[in-house]
Amino acid sequence: MDNLNKNSVLQVEELSISYGDFKAVRNVSFDVKAGEIFGLLGPNGAGKTSTLSAIEGLLKPQSGNITVAGFSIKDKPLHVRANIGVQLQATSFQPELSVVEILRLYGGIYGVEMTDEKLRVILENIKLETAASKRFGQLSGGEQQRVSLVIAMIHSPMLVLLDEPTTGLDPQSRRQLWERMEALREKDHGILLTTHSMEEAEAVCDRIAIIDHGQVINIDTPEALIDKHRHDPEVISASRKGKITLEDVFIGLTGKAIRS
Amino acid sequence: MQTTIPSTPSVLSSLLRADFTTQWRNRRSVMLVVLVPVVILISWKGLVAKLGGTFVLSNCITIGLNAIGLMGYSNAIARDRDKGVFQRLRVAPVPSWSIMISRLLVQLAMIFIVTTAIFVAGVYFDKINLSPAGYVLGYVTAIIGGAVYLALGQAIVGLIKNPETVNAVTRLTYFIFIMIGMFGELGMLGHKLGEVVRWSPYGTVKRMLSASMEPSTWNQDTTFYLLATIGYTILFTTLGIKWFKWNTR
Repeated sequence: MDNLNKNSVLQVEELSISYGDFKAVRNVSFDVKAGEIFGLLGPNGAGKTSTLSAIEGLLKPQSGNITVAGFSIKDKPLHVRANIGVQLQATSFQPELSVVEILRLYGGIYGVEMTDEKLRVILENIKLETAASKRFGQLSGGEQQRVSLVIAMIHSPMLVLLDEPTTGLDPQSRRQLWERMEALREKDHGILLTTHSMEEAEAVCDRIAIIDHGQVINIDTPEALIDKHRHDPEVISASRKGKITLEDVFIGLTGKAIRS
Repeated sequence: MQTTIPSTPSVLSSLLRADFTTQWRNRRSVMLVVLVPVVILISWKGLVAKLGGTFVLSNCITIGLNAIGLMGYSNAIARDRDKGVFQRLRVAPVPSWSIMISRLLVQLAMIFIVTTAIFVAGVYFDKINLSPAGYVLGYVTAIIGGAVYLALGQAIVGLIKNPETVNAVTRLTYFIFIMIGMFGELGMLGHKLGEVVRWSPYGTVKRMLSASMEPSTWNQDTTFYLLATIGYTILFTTLGIKWFKWNTR
């Protein structure tokens, strides 16, 4: 392990994933450091979700290595899962369970003792004190996202995976979520974020990997990516208001064609 | 930082608490599962003298087991899979088998509830009294019989991804099983169809249950019904496991 990777909470090396003859991910490598928000950006079908699924242990890759907090997913899958917190795209909790019951369930699953005091503090933090006994299915989209995020953090994992967490949220909820991500970064958690919002990536990510057709095209800070590509003809042609943004770079690198 | 891998009993107890709570919150559908066979039992009061108490009880328990496996279990699995409940659990340090074991233990409790409700209603309304051994064996064979329908439900959920289609198919299968099963058992569908019903999962479970509640009537044929029931369970379980996907994408 070189100096650069010493404080990595996630290392993905030469990851390849295939579905039959279709190669969804080809030799993808990147790392996420402690105290870093790392964005994985790409058009639909680029290989983001497959990469994330492999890190979560839901998909078995054809080749490559994934290491979380020093544990290899091949040798210690339960240790890897114990060190990651996940917020999935889908609703993902039984709608009949109340917020407190979901917290108790996942507290038990992650081996975290949930005292009444601890529950009170968590609910206060996510501003759901009054909705503690409300069923998950009765919560608003923003409230559900808050529960989902707090469950992802319930065991204080070294790595947090957030799969398009702000999709469908209003601007207030989205800003609040960004603040929560930044608070996690302050506490030295590594965050891997996938998003379609370039504004979000620019606002919160320390580094970004742009992935397309299953391959990483570029990894850098948002500012460096913009600087590096601001004179590319494709990027200039994608620019709408003269000023080059991350979205222009993204479109310039991945093309204007709509993906299914 | 220390990595905590929770013990399997602690994980299982958390899952069970959540799954039983979910079942309790869905108590209206639980009531329906219990009420349908109990109402049939009460309405068949006049048949007890003609066909025998164990005939009536075994039919009603079979209908209840059908409802548990086809209407309750399969629909809950299809819905939770669609909502990503299983995927969320699978990204936690939880062995995948513990997720299903917890679900099946809830269904085991349901089998006890339905069987008990039918035994109690049998005594109260139809004056059907069994020997203690008959009751004990009745519970045991209800679990064996219930496994067939849980396995069938699992196979349907494995084959079909869309929860609404699963709902429609399981309702149809339930309706076909109880209508053809009941009428076939009453001899109203002719000899040939009656034979088919006899060796169908409905017929084998029903006959096995009937004999177990009156242990002195257990004979070689009943053993074959038991073996056929186990065979159906193995077949449906194999298909259910082979076809099952944890997510719908």
